[in-house]
Amino acid sequence: MGVQLKISQHVATMTIESSEEGNLIDFETTYSLSDAASEVRQRDDVWAAVLNADSQDFCLGTSPEVIEAALGDGSAQTMLRAAQTLAEIEKPVICAVQGGVRDQGLELALACDVRIADSDVTFAMTQVLNGTMPWDGGTQRLPRLIGRSRAMEILLTGRHIGAEEALDIGLINEISEPGEAAERAMELASVISEHGPIALRFLKEAVLNGMDGTLEHGLRLEADLSFLLQSTQDRSEGISSFLERRRPTYQGR
Amino acid sequence: MMSGEPAVLFQKERAVGRLVLNRPDVINAFNVRMRDDLYSALEAARDDPDIRAVLITGAGDRGFCAGADLTEFGTAPSQVIARQVRWERDLWGLFGSIRKPLVAALHGYVIGSGVEIACLCDLRVAAENSVFRMPETALGMVPAAGGSQTLPRTIGQGSAMKTLLANDVLDAGTALRLGLVHSVVERDKLEEASFELAERLSDIPPALSAGISRAVADGLDMSLSRGLDLEFRLARSLATRKTTKV
Repeated sequence: MGVQLKISQHVATMTIESSEEGNLIDFETTYSLSDAASEVRQRDDVWAAVLNADSQDFCLGTSPEVIEAALGDGSAQTMLRAAQTLAEIEKPVICAVQGGVRDQGLELALACDVRIADSDVTFAMTQVLNGTMPWDGGTQRLPRLIGRSRAMEILLTGRHIGAEEALDIGLINEISEPGEAAERAMELASVISEHGPIALRFLKEAVLNGMDGTLEHGLRLEADLSFLLQSTQDRSEGISSFLERRRPTYQGR
Repeated sequence: MMSGEPAVLFQKERAVGRLVLNRPDVINAFNVRMRDDLYSALEAARDDPDIRAVLITGAGDRGFCAGADLTEFGTAPSQVIARQVRWERDLWGLFGSIRKPLVAALHGYVIGSGVEIACLCDLRVAAENSVFRMPETALGMVPAAGGSQTLPRTIGQGSAMKTLLANDVLDAGTALRLGLVHSVVERDKLEEASFELAERLSDIPPALSAGISRAVADGLDMSLSRGLDLEFRLARSLATRKTTKV
C-alpha cells in the first residue's frame, strides 16, 4: 500500500496504491509519495519517471483525515502537499491517468510534465462544490497549463472533462488506447530516457523557471544552461554520435 | 554551395523585406556564417524605412532549416568565450527588438533552430509537407536559440514540454492544431500565400504595428496593471500622432 517505486533501465515508476476506495490520497500515500519522489530526485541512475495508479480511478482526491490535517492548524501542511513533492523532481515525469482524476488527484497530474490519459478518463476540480478550494497547486498550475479562461470555468463549476476535451484544451498530451495509458507512458519515458539526462533536467528547469519570469530572463537562463552543458561529456557524445550516425550512449556526466 | 554566395539573401519587394536562408545543399543548416549574415540582413531590414514587413523563407526544396550545423560544434575556444560572443552578437535578441511584422514561410524540414527562428517571428505559414522537431535533448543539449522559452509561449507549456523532452515529430496538421503555425497551404502555394500575408501586414502604418507588437510582447512580461498602462500610453500617442498629422 502507499506508493510502490520500481526502477529499471533509468526509468522510475511510482505507482499509487491507496487502501481507500477511489484511490484517495491518505496519510500513507502522501508520505510514501514524498519518499519515492526523494529517491527519484537523489538517484543518479534515474533519468525519467512515470507516475501511475494501479486502480480503476487514478485518484478521486484526498481522504477526509488528510484534508483536515492539511487545512486545520497548518502544522502538517508541507508534508501533505503531495503534488508539490512531485513538482520538486528536476527530472521529466510522465503521468498516466485513467478513470476519475479529481481534486488533489488532478493536482498530482498537473505537477508532472507530460500527461497521457486513457480514453475513459474524466477530470474535475470539485473542491468548490464542497465549500473549499484547491490547496496543492490547482489554482496556479491549471491556468498556466490551459489558460485563465478555461481554468476559471473548471475551478468554479466543478464540471467533468472527458478525454477529447482534455486533449483539445491542452490538459493532456495524448489519449491512449483503452487500458493502455500506463504502458504508453512507460514507452514514452523509455524514449525520453535515451536522451541526455543532464540536458533533460536543464530543459525542464529552463521551461518551468523561464515561464515564471520575463522572456529576457528566460533567454539568459537558457543560454547559461546551454553553456554549462558544453562542459559535459554527454554533449560531446551527442554531437559525435550524430556525426558518426550512431546511437548515443549517455552517462549523465 | 558556392563559397562566395551569402548564407542569407536579402531582397526588397515593394514594402516587404525578404530574407532567404541560403544553404540549400545542407537544408539551410544554421552555422556561424548564417548567424552573421542573418544578423546583418535583419539589421538592414530594421533600419530601412521603406521596409514595413519582413518575410523569412528557406532556399531549396528540402526544407526551411534543418537545425544547427553540428560540424561546427565544439569549435569555440572555450565556454567563456562562447558565452561572451553569444551576447555580443545577440541575434535572437535582435529578432525580439524588431517592431515590424515578421512572417516565417516554412516547408519541409523545420528542425531545431529552424523551429526557433520561426517562433521568433509573429506569424508562421507552413506548407503541407512541413515536419517540425526539436532534437536537442536527444543530442545531449538544450535549445540555444530561445526554443525553451519561445516554444512554451507559442504552443503552451504542456505541448512544448513533451515536444522538447521526447523529440516528437510534428506534421503540419499537428503544428496547426497546437498553434505552432497559423495556416497550412499547399507546397506550391507557400511562396504566394506568405508573400501576400507579409504584404498585407506591410500596409499597416508602421507606428501602429510597432505599437501592437510592443503592447503584446512587453505587456506579457509585466503585471496586468502595468501592461494596461503601457497599452493606454501607446494608444494615446498613436491617436495624437494621427490627429496632428493630417
